[in-house]
Amino acid sequence: MRVDLLPSEGGGTYRFVIILLAICGILISSLPVIVVTIMSFSAADNTGFPPEALSLRWYGEVIAMFTTEDANSAQSVVDSTLTSLLVAIVVMVISTGVCIPLAYALARGDTRIRGGMELLFTLPLVFPLVILGIAFLLIAESLRLDIGIWRIVIPHVALVLPFVLRNCLSAMSGISIEVEEAAVSLGASPLRAIWDVVIPMMKAGILAGLIFALIISFNEFTITFFMYTVDVSTLPIWMYSRTVSSLDPSTLALSVFIIVADVVLIVLVDKLIAGRASLF
Amino acid sequence: MSSDTHLHIENISKKFNTVDALRDVDLRIERGSFVCLLGPSGCGKTTLLRIIAGFETATKGRLILDGQDISQQPPHKRGFGMVFQSLALFPHMSVARNIGYGLKLRGVKGAAQRDRIEELLEVIQLPHIADRPVSALSGGQRQRVAIARALAIQPPLFLLDEPLSALDAKLRDNMQIELRQLQQKFGVTTVLVTHDQHEAMMLADELVVLKDGAVRQSAAPSQVYNQPADSFVADFLGAANLIDVGAIKGGTVDLFGTAVSTPAPHMDGDLMLAAVRAEHLVLAPAAAAGTAAPIGAVSFMRDLGPATEFVVTIQGKDLRVRRSNADAQGLDVGSQVALTFDPAQVSLFKAA
Repeated sequence: MRVDLLPSEGGGTYRFVIILLAICGILISSLPVIVVTIMSFSAADNTGFPPEALSLRWYGEVIAMFTTEDANSAQSVVDSTLTSLLVAIVVMVISTGVCIPLAYALARGDTRIRGGMELLFTLPLVFPLVILGIAFLLIAESLRLDIGIWRIVIPHVALVLPFVLRNCLSAMSGISIEVEEAAVSLGASPLRAIWDVVIPMMKAGILAGLIFALIISFNEFTITFFMYTVDVSTLPIWMYSRTVSSLDPSTLALSVFIIVADVVLIVLVDKLIAGRASLF
Repeated sequence: MSSDTHLHIENISKKFNTVDALRDVDLRIERGSFVCLLGPSGCGKTTLLRIIAGFETATKGRLILDGQDISQQPPHKRGFGMVFQSLALFPHMSVARNIGYGLKLRGVKGAAQRDRIEELLEVIQLPHIADRPVSALSGGQRQRVAIARALAIQPPLFLLDEPLSALDAKLRDNMQIELRQLQQKFGVTTVLVTHDQHEAMMLADELVVLKDGAVRQSAAPSQVYNQPADSFVADFLGAANLIDVGAIKGGTVDLFGTAVSTPAPHMDGDLMLAAVRAEHLVLAPAAAAGTAAPIGAVSFMRDLGPATEFVVTIQGKDLRVRRSNADAQGLDVGSQVALTFDPAQVSLFKAA
């Protein structure tokens, strides 16, 4: 019989510690979701926790927000949501489109160049987001151009690139050059070999990158806060301005919608692209 | 011979930075022959194969296929079927799609492609696995699929880079026989790289021994084995004993009291090295032998199953001897034995 490295019987403390750590981890990561979900079903007007009575009134409120014209806010929630979605999809497409060839070139090229480039693309992560936001704002203002959603798309791309690149690189590292050479020896041009062999083998990594890009962009707040304009604003900005003016549980109900939408998006992207590499 | 040269590797040299990977390799490969490139790691054998395939370019020299210079042709235009050390099967494709990949690129579609795949699966004796993913195959099956994939396109040259090195000994033995049979069935000119001398002996029509980027000997396996060109070849192929025999005197050298005549180019005064294969040395219990035979002591012996291997210490030298188990009767570590050999089976080389 195999011997467990950590004794599970007699040495019950190890198991206890591991279970305790697991519970702490799960609690910390899921507590916000749980609280928000519970609160969204509150019947009260305020956000006292725990709610005294339950109802679906705030969900009705959210649906009303989306279906009726909102005269109060400069930009309606519908517009913000559509902008958020559009930005997220464009960011996803651009970052993946950049990272697949980049990851290929870096993985097949000089390892020293690869290290340097990875560092370079990770730079936005070590920058405080507020500084990054100010920097992009300065650049955008100095351009004096009306570039529409691109003033949000470009900073988002900078932000998601390290995640997407990392995923594509780790996908590439598992693909030996011999598989490509095998395709070439059978008559495929080098580009055809990449298309027929490398890209399909990278699929799981590409997919993970797509999902990262989509979610990070859709939920991004800090940089967007510097970049949004009256015409181009995103859902997180709308939610923030709403909470500042009046914190009622309708924002929380909306959050639950977003969480559900995130999950649906992830599953959808997975089903569309993954095939056998599906995560679910 | 020159009339049916399929591939002429013409004075190929390859430098990586300042290191000479290949030095003036000149080989003529006959149509339909099976050539093994044999040598220790770093001898340049894989580099040579990759130059033939087109994945490396030679620093100097040309490749002439059927009279045409193909040195500048990109690898995908050459269309030489290649089997890689890692096999490099496409993990996201089924067995049939792996084998059919080269056909698809050549525009062989539908029923014609299916028939060809069926035919190849039949040849590699795996008729019912077409729809399986390659990850579900055993080592030997993957091997066969990789070979079938390369042969599907009916390549003018069939190249293999140590394809059997990952298999266990028994399977490797069987695959060697199968590979040789397949090659003969297709009649395809084949170049295989290996560091395993048994594999090379088993497969090759022509054995090319490489060392430090240079060809040491290129001949039929039996010739390479029995008449090695130099002491490296003698040592690399099979267990040979290399013995310093000093200078030639009167056209002979002295090997344990026996005069061995030296071939023509060597002259009196040249310092020589003798090579005798382990199985060419004969042992007898000391008491039974003739008086002339030198006497040594068995310092090690092991029963290998089909034969027994000895180490005999004689005149301060350790010699490896391989005899049938019957000859080992009555012998043990410490036994005094008389050593005899046939001078004709001794190879002599100028000491470096």
